[in-house]
Amino acid sequence: MNLFQRNVEILRRQDPSIAAQVLECSGGVLSIQLAKSGVPTAMVKNRFLHSAYDPIREAERWAEHQVKDCQSGDTLVVLGVGLFYHVEALQAKLPQENSIMVVVPDVSELVDGLSVRSLDGWGDRVRWVCGTPEKMALQVVQQAQRVRLLTYEPGLSLHQDSFDTFRSLLCEQLSKRVSGTLHIMVVGPIYGGSLPITGYVVRALESLGHRVSWVDHSLHYPGYRNLETIRDDRLRLTVQQRFSDTLGVISLAHVAEDLPDFVLAMSQAPLSMAVLEQMRRKKVLTAMWFVENFRHFTYWQQMIGGYDYWFVMQQAACLEAFKNAGASQVSYLPLAADPAIHQSVALTSKEQQELGADVSFLGAGYRNRREILPALLGQEWIFKLWGNEWEQAGVLETVLQRNGARIDTPTSVKIFNATSVNVNLHSYTNQGFDPDGDSVNPRTFELASCGAFQVIDHRTLLPALFDESMMGVVKSPEELVPAVRKYLHEPEQRREMAEESQKQVVLSHTYAHRMQTLLSTMGLACPDRIGAILQGERQAESLLARSRECPELVSLLKSFPETDRVELVDIARTIRQKGPEAKLGREELLILMMDEYRQEKRDFL
Amino acid sequence: MSRSLLIQLARLGDVIQSLPVIASLHTEFPKQQLDLLCAAPLVPLGRLFPGIHGVYPWEGEKWHSFSAMSNPDGEQQLEAARRYLTDLAFPKYLLAYNLNNHPRSILASHVLSERVIGAGDQGPLNPSCPPWVEYLRQVARERGNNRIHLVDAFCGVCGVRPPVVVPTIQARDVELPFDLARILNDVSLVKIGIVLGAGDADRRVPLLVWRRFIEACADHLPNCVFVLIGGEGEREAALALEDQLLPQYLPRILNCVGRTTLPQLAHVFNWCKWVIGSDTGPLHLGVACGAWAIGWYFSRARVHETGPYGVGHYVWQHQKSVISKNMEAQDFGQERELPCSWPVMETIQLMVDEQVGECSSEWNLWTSHRDEWGMFYTNGGKSDDMVLQRKETWERLSALGFHQDALLMPREMIAG
Repeated sequence: MNLFQRNVEILRRQDPSIAAQVLECSGGVLSIQLAKSGVPTAMVKNRFLHSAYDPIREAERWAEHQVKDCQSGDTLVVLGVGLFYHVEALQAKLPQENSIMVVVPDVSELVDGLSVRSLDGWGDRVRWVCGTPEKMALQVVQQAQRVRLLTYEPGLSLHQDSFDTFRSLLCEQLSKRVSGTLHIMVVGPIYGGSLPITGYVVRALESLGHRVSWVDHSLHYPGYRNLETIRDDRLRLTVQQRFSDTLGVISLAHVAEDLPDFVLAMSQAPLSMAVLEQMRRKKVLTAMWFVENFRHFTYWQQMIGGYDYWFVMQQAACLEAFKNAGASQVSYLPLAADPAIHQSVALTSKEQQELGADVSFLGAGYRNRREILPALLGQEWIFKLWGNEWEQAGVLETVLQRNGARIDTPTSVKIFNATSVNVNLHSYTNQGFDPDGDSVNPRTFELASCGAFQVIDHRTLLPALFDESMMGVVKSPEELVPAVRKYLHEPEQRREMAEESQKQVVLSHTYAHRMQTLLSTMGLACPDRIGAILQGERQAESLLARSRECPELVSLLKSFPETDRVELVDIARTIRQKGPEAKLGREELLILMMDEYRQEKRDFL
Repeated sequence: MSRSLLIQLARLGDVIQSLPVIASLHTEFPKQQLDLLCAAPLVPLGRLFPGIHGVYPWEGEKWHSFSAMSNPDGEQQLEAARRYLTDLAFPKYLLAYNLNNHPRSILASHVLSERVIGAGDQGPLNPSCPPWVEYLRQVARERGNNRIHLVDAFCGVCGVRPPVVVPTIQARDVELPFDLARILNDVSLVKIGIVLGAGDADRRVPLLVWRRFIEACADHLPNCVFVLIGGEGEREAALALEDQLLPQYLPRILNCVGRTTLPQLAHVFNWCKWVIGSDTGPLHLGVACGAWAIGWYFSRARVHETGPYGVGHYVWQHQKSVISKNMEAQDFGQERELPCSWPVMETIQLMVDEQVGECSSEWNLWTSHRDEWGMFYTNGGKSDDMVLQRKETWERLSALGFHQDALLMPREMIAG
């Protein structure tokens, strides 16, 4: 029996179906070479998957780094196959209570490995997961305890798309298993476009059952605005910066007072690097949902090391830029709508008269809009322009409504509902459509959620969110007028398309969906903290199941409803409720002692 | 032989100020073996305390880490705490004397011992305090015109009288760096400890004042050297002071700041005739090591509560500090006014002549004395009514005695 056959026998003992798949496959994906140390190494497209000098040593170093964070009970799910030096090194360093699963998107790669590397003595401990990304994600969720995802970067490149899909499907699957509740502190901006989104995020997290503390800095907006009376530019900017820094310290005080599981900051949240560093020192996890175009707003570069997790609304180039700048975790998270707010509404005839139109545009007066929208004037339809920052609008002044006042959300919803064709042009500070236009603006989701019909400029990320049966898509400014004309004369088609887009929002694009994705991404990246809580490991029932050897703790935990999340502070409170005459056991005293130290805040600021 | 534990989790000054109560307990219960539980960094110093058998560390950082475990799970946290205590190998104590009225200290006393004397004697959740602890609380809260020294109140808390002989720390066996030892061993020189450091910034004497003091004192006492005392954090201040001094005074400076362990510092103080500084841990350490103290008490410091313990010490008390009522309200985040003038020449006069002429209007001079009721300070050598009332206070508080539970403790049990 040769090496390959012996390996297949080991696989068969564990899972006959994988052994069968391996036997049916011919391999040949990897180019096998000899490393300087004399063991096989592998290349793909002129890139080594393992060291050309000493793959074993390299794998040991990788494994050492990975096991540092592993907790008892974790199932380590490895992405990246290669010649599995890293898997062998990992299993050698792991305690027996941890199990390992290796995701194999292509059996050919596995076959290549099995032809040159032996599973003898360690392969029995590893489960190989094959199939489509959907199947693999499901299998991992069904078989793993607490998933800790490990990536062997050199091995990813071969099947990057499959791994990305697997990862997002795994997040989706895990989010369905959520039973625990988190305490999340949401820090919003003082003002601006991310302020309403902050509100939607808070509502979404609450609707998912989590406890949310909203540090709402918009309360300080009048004070901040008042600083604009300082005429000297440098002086004003300095004072505004100090004002913002103070709000950061206020945020820190809120964190100290009621320690959250993590802080979710929205774009423009006034958290300075000093504040973020202090949070890190205090082991507070932080995440930022950067709902801005990373090319236009570049302040993220200065803040990149401050947050543990970044969520961005753009893909590819954005993800790469963030990673290159030093982001440890960055994930794509598009915008969304809140169907409780962005919904179909009935308007009074007076409202219809003021807010209704054949064609409308609502948004700020960016350069490209100023140049494209005049084409909608002088046509056979009534065109209305809504929004602010339209000073010196030229010909558009004739259609500008409410003198260019800022339009609040309830009014926006009415305008969307009262318009036959809503034009949705993404902002751009140059001429025409943004050639790099990728992200999809909030208005797209909001219009869809209202059941309103829209004609939108093409964005590279749009097809993955909405297809062309849901909205009219134009690829150049020249296509805008013909498209508007076409749809204006097709009310039935408009209605059907708008309904489809509305269904799509409810199905996949609400802020609740986004928060589920965000939480499961964080849970996956941080399985022993966020992941464990989401999986209900801090609920009384789960704690009880793990506390068999400590009778004092068992009796205390039994006083909580099974599904309640129980923390040290809750147990300590229960002990204190026993009253002044109570005689406490040693364990109860130790819990109170730890709680005393937990309460210490004096060095937080 | 029974084994008991004295718990003092506060800072250096309070640990030093617990030395007399250890002596009293030793005298009262000679067969009792007494251990000390103190903050981990102070353990090496505690090992020099006469009357102490074993010293155990209390590591706040460890407890912080248990409470902030990244994956808090009641059982895991408890296991970590249990393992920590097991590793420290505490003996089984029948009795703990708890000097701190702080929940951590109260909990520690109940974790480690069957019975507790002092704060928490009624149980870990019982808010009532024994009379002496209540007295200390009241002093901290109201800053009234009391005259019972903190050290003696500690004795009261533990149910013993103030010691007949004030104990001292001897650390001459502790090895010193050669350059320090060479100067300190020179018996022809008078060593004066200058305490630069202070735990709280508002108790720091300005460097300019120290410069004036050193230069004037060097002119009056030609055979003296100034031993600069402080921790790591005061290194720069010490160097700045050396920079400010005129070159001819530099050979008279022995800069020990940040260079010694606490036992080595005790050794340094064993050689000092005087120790000068504000109300800080090192000042009290100097006193406990046999130096005469001249304290400059300002900000929150009050001579009657925390003046150097023993006979023959002086304290210049800044008057504004004494009149402040309800100090707790002021303690939080408020800047304190520094004195406008400092008793520099008056202090030198005291060192040279052991008396002073006219005093600055900002400062009062107090001198320490002892009687059977402990320490007291007088101004101008006269005992006032409050000094005489100490006896009454002692009798009243001691008559109230311990809580009922503590009374149930047979004396034989304590005495072993």
